[in-house]
Amino acid sequence: MHTESDEDLVKRIASGDRLAMKVLFSRHQVRVYRFVLRLVRDETLAEDVISDVFMDLWRQADRFEARASVSTWLLAIARNKAWSLLRKRRDAELDEDYAESLEDDADGPETVLQKQDKGLAIRACLERLSADHREVIDLVYYHETSVEEVARIVGIPENTVKTRLFHARKKLGEMLKAAGIDRGWP
Amino acid sequence: MNDSIASDPKRRELEELLPFYANGRISDADKRRVEAALAGDAELAARLDLIRDDMAETVLLNESLGAPSHNALDKLMAGIEAEPRQVPLLARAQEGSRGFLGWLGGLLAAQSPRRLAYASAAAIALIALQGVAITGLALRDGGPGFQTASAPGTRPSESYVLLSFSPEARAGEIASFFKRFDASVVDGPRANGFFKVRVGDASLSSAQVDAIAARMKGESAIVSFVAPAP
Repeated sequence: MHTESDEDLVKRIASGDRLAMKVLFSRHQVRVYRFVLRLVRDETLAEDVISDVFMDLWRQADRFEARASVSTWLLAIARNKAWSLLRKRRDAELDEDYAESLEDDADGPETVLQKQDKGLAIRACLERLSADHREVIDLVYYHETSVEEVARIVGIPENTVKTRLFHARKKLGEMLKAAGIDRGWP
Repeated sequence: MNDSIASDPKRRELEELLPFYANGRISDADKRRVEAALAGDAELAARLDLIRDDMAETVLLNESLGAPSHNALDKLMAGIEAEPRQVPLLARAQEGSRGFLGWLGGLLAAQSPRRLAYASAAAIALIALQGVAITGLALRDGGPGFQTASAPGTRPSESYVLLSFSPEARAGEIASFFKRFDASVVDGPRANGFFKVRVGDASLSSAQVDAIAARMKGESAIVSFVAPAP
């Protein structure tokens, strides 16, 4: 069976093919949604953002250039829209609200440690990282991006990608240590 | 505590490459440098273990986020309907795609053999899944205008685990493993070679899925990581 590549679909979208749009949407919607949701932390907002992202793709498909993969292109658009939303809603305020909801709704790393589940404790700490750190961790660990792709999506130099990821990992280790899990670093 | 890696620029530089070594998105030259360093630097190797732990948990966390509802596609298609389309610039797109394919070829050539092998193994399952999705979409696309059929709910109807195979596992052993557990790959490979695997329908309790994961974990010659997944 022939599976149409992303770039072939974008070509069809550029010619106004709605079915190609649906196929590309089906192929990428979950990952783009999860990337946005981890930033904006609101399911309805995340759905609105992904609709806007693919609407941009519909409008700009004929301007797609070969410098990046379709996936990287979508994540970069999604990232810009998510951060624009965060700035409008004041990031700190949103994070504080979310942190409060976490305290209300979910176990913190200390609690899950008491339940003897290190994996859950790591996930609880991953939830509590700053948006900058969550973003780079997700891109590398979940979306399997390279240094160059993270640099393109986030809009920062490649060396900054590595440094930011280092600090995100270090922060994660510090949070785990504070929760009682000493992994030897930091 | 003094961080001896951070205070040594050469080791720090290699350490910062470890996440990309772990997700397989590293150049061949850097991969060789990292592997040479790992062979003689236990502290660096321990750091890689932490990264792999965190990577597995990041994948599980993201998998737990579910999927968007059909409202997102409905809104998109309504927006497309409402927007008059410009005359397509197909020629420009075609010109762009030639360069893209060249770039894609280069990208594939830069992948590690193991990563390509994982991708090939998963391709059959993914192509089958995609065929079902495309056929479904095509059948729904009759008539003018748009219509999004009721997308399947986001509530999972099956039970899954996330697993990665041991690098030494042979194809025949993996096939036999799937047969024994009546399991099938539904997605993957993900970061670090993870696959999402169906182990039963939604009637399985979390304790039963835990038990299946534990039995799978016992087959350490075949499986290197396994955990229940949403």
